[in-house]
Amino acid sequence: MDRKGQGLYPGYDVLALQDEWDAVTRQIVNKRLGPFQYKVCSHWEQTMIKTLAEHLTYDCRDEVLTWITAHVDQQLASPTGEAQRKPNTPPQRELIRGGLKMLDAWSKNQYGQAFLQLEQDQQFQIINSLQTGSLETIKGWDHSLQKDLFKKLVGLVIEAYYSHPWTWSEMGYGGPSYPRGYVRIGLGVTDPWEPKRGPSHA
Amino acid sequence: MHNCDHYNGERYPHMKNRKFVKQEVDAVVVGLGAAGGVLLSELAGAGFNVVGIEAGPFWNPQEDFASDELHARTLAWNDTRLSTGGDALQLGANNCGRGVGGGTVHFTGVFYRFHESDFRVRTLDGVAEDWPISYQDLEPYYAKVEKDIKVSGPKDFPWGSFHGPYPYPEREPISANSQIFRQGCEALGIRSTVAPLAILSAPFDGRPPCINRGFCNQGCLPNAKFSTLIHHIPRAIQAGAEVLSDSMVTRILVNRQGRVTGVEFNHDGKNYEQKAKIVIVSAFVIETPRLLLNSACPQYPDGLANSSGLVGKYVMPHSGHDVHGKFDQEIRLYKGTPVMAVSQDFYETDPGRGFVRGYSLNAHGSRPVAMASMLATNGGIWGKRLREIMLEWNHYARITVVGEVLPNVNNSVSLSDEKDEYGIPRAQVSFSYGENDQKLIAHGIETCNQIFEAAGGQRAFVVPDSAHLMGGCRMGHDPKESVITGFCQSHDIPNLFICDASVFVTSGGANPTETVMAIASRTAQHLIEQRGKLLSGTSRRSIH
Repeated sequence: MDRKGQGLYPGYDVLALQDEWDAVTRQIVNKRLGPFQYKVCSHWEQTMIKTLAEHLTYDCRDEVLTWITAHVDQQLASPTGEAQRKPNTPPQRELIRGGLKMLDAWSKNQYGQAFLQLEQDQQFQIINSLQTGSLETIKGWDHSLQKDLFKKLVGLVIEAYYSHPWTWSEMGYGGPSYPRGYVRIGLGVTDPWEPKRGPSHA
Repeated sequence: MHNCDHYNGERYPHMKNRKFVKQEVDAVVVGLGAAGGVLLSELAGAGFNVVGIEAGPFWNPQEDFASDELHARTLAWNDTRLSTGGDALQLGANNCGRGVGGGTVHFTGVFYRFHESDFRVRTLDGVAEDWPISYQDLEPYYAKVEKDIKVSGPKDFPWGSFHGPYPYPEREPISANSQIFRQGCEALGIRSTVAPLAILSAPFDGRPPCINRGFCNQGCLPNAKFSTLIHHIPRAIQAGAEVLSDSMVTRILVNRQGRVTGVEFNHDGKNYEQKAKIVIVSAFVIETPRLLLNSACPQYPDGLANSSGLVGKYVMPHSGHDVHGKFDQEIRLYKGTPVMAVSQDFYETDPGRGFVRGYSLNAHGSRPVAMASMLATNGGIWGKRLREIMLEWNHYARITVVGEVLPNVNNSVSLSDEKDEYGIPRAQVSFSYGENDQKLIAHGIETCNQIFEAAGGQRAFVVPDSAHLMGGCRMGHDPKESVITGFCQSHDIPNLFICDASVFVTSGGANPTETVMAIASRTAQHLIEQRGKLLSGTSRRSIH
């Protein structure tokens, strides 16, 4: 698989359908193409989030990773709640910002280098350990808090990644469809404008 | 998003034109979701002076909804709750609505009645508790609700006591995912039908039939899907009800005699009061107990309606595991109404299975963010594997198991030590599955996998999930063992009613919205019949 994308639907661009979308949806989706303003995250934090997002999404397209970073920043800046968290877990802004510092400190302890200076494999191993909460505890970041950090991070990153129209295109997702809706919804049929699988994979 | 602060036939951007500012109204309804919408509409229609107070906005679908999953988060109750326990629940968009219409704005529209057995679990299975009401008590209200909103469904529904026909014809065509489900069921001898849906199959009331856009959970743009926002609330306003939106009720007020006198609410940082002869709390499974507990006062130091100590107890979700199968052909889960085919062949207790009660199977479409997020956060799948799955996501089919969860007193909503923006303690929600729940889930997952295989697919993966919330203020005959009567009247305070999914005694194994609305309609009828007694302040607790 090409990490830069392609997918099973070569040539399909969901954005080319946007004249058929309602105005509100069109505006929301196009905003994800940038430019972005950051409210909370420092330049270093943005770079950390972008690097982590590259591992979590297995995608290295800068435009997509930038949107993900901007989305995380927006969420951390938002006064709206986070639906739920565990009683002893700090609010998401504290959790993520503190977590980025912890990962960097952990890298320096373990490898003598900042997280961003590590080889991709080393970064990947750290994220793997974070998921299972198996990094050695530093500065109070115990196993349970590590897992909480991973879950929050992966949640924010993945919801942004799968909201980017380029991701939709390579998945062959027909996308927003109001007011025209979908007409041919049964097995083996598609509307004429929907993506078709490329010949090499057919 | 503040579309309007109150609506009395006209939208105002402020609180200066309140209809009943000094007046004691007949009833105030706290929360305008599935139950609150029905109550407001039916009480106003019977001539009650009523005010509905809703914490969230008064939505305008054409401006506020979009065909986008992230944007649709605004429809959920996102205020932070503390979630704990062995199987800590996911809240927010998973099960809690905010804004006029509440959860009906983002529900899938699956519209099931409960079965007779659901109300008699203690008698039949020796576990949980019986409800103080029976299926027969609710039957006329199920029928009324279905007729009112023109539920579409099959001519022959094989399970439970109601076999159709539904007011509107079943949806046609059905999605590829639903076809695959039905093919697999047929090969195994499992009965399946097209889903009964609160989604139009033909025009009604100026609303068009469904266009299969697929965004039921993100808010319906063409208004083909029912919500109390577009059906009951306009009728309530037409009949004279007032709607106050963006207004968070923070406390129920109590007089020295121990009766409730109205509510205090916060709008844009300022506190207001609405006096009422009857207070009806319809704020759903978390906010209803939270409001009752937060309204503790010298007369009721443990919170209102809580002499039993059971406010906030016996909270139940449905287990809602999402089972995925992979197929050579494209399924395209994004197309069409998410749930278009179902089976309740595993609904009733079968002694041979090693557990009691059962589940519904809903063939269930999905969208990119929902599917990938579930895989990542609940399934722990990320990086290369997630990307590979999602690049082929058009080849996955999905069935959701809506499983009954037995009530357990330790599964609860309580007040935490942490405060929110209004200074109210945040709710703490604790939940763990029991042994019966786990066995039921395992059985449901295996059934889904067999259906996929019978339809020519392969087992792929299972994502643990939960759906819906019920319980927390259960009804019952015994004031020591329940919070309210079968008519949703507090055992302790005769002019306080609690009417929403929190009153459920058991969870059933079916999507609960129709039962919530039928209970609300029955409660409204009771209030209308008892209005003389209730409004003169002489009422005592009514039996059953």
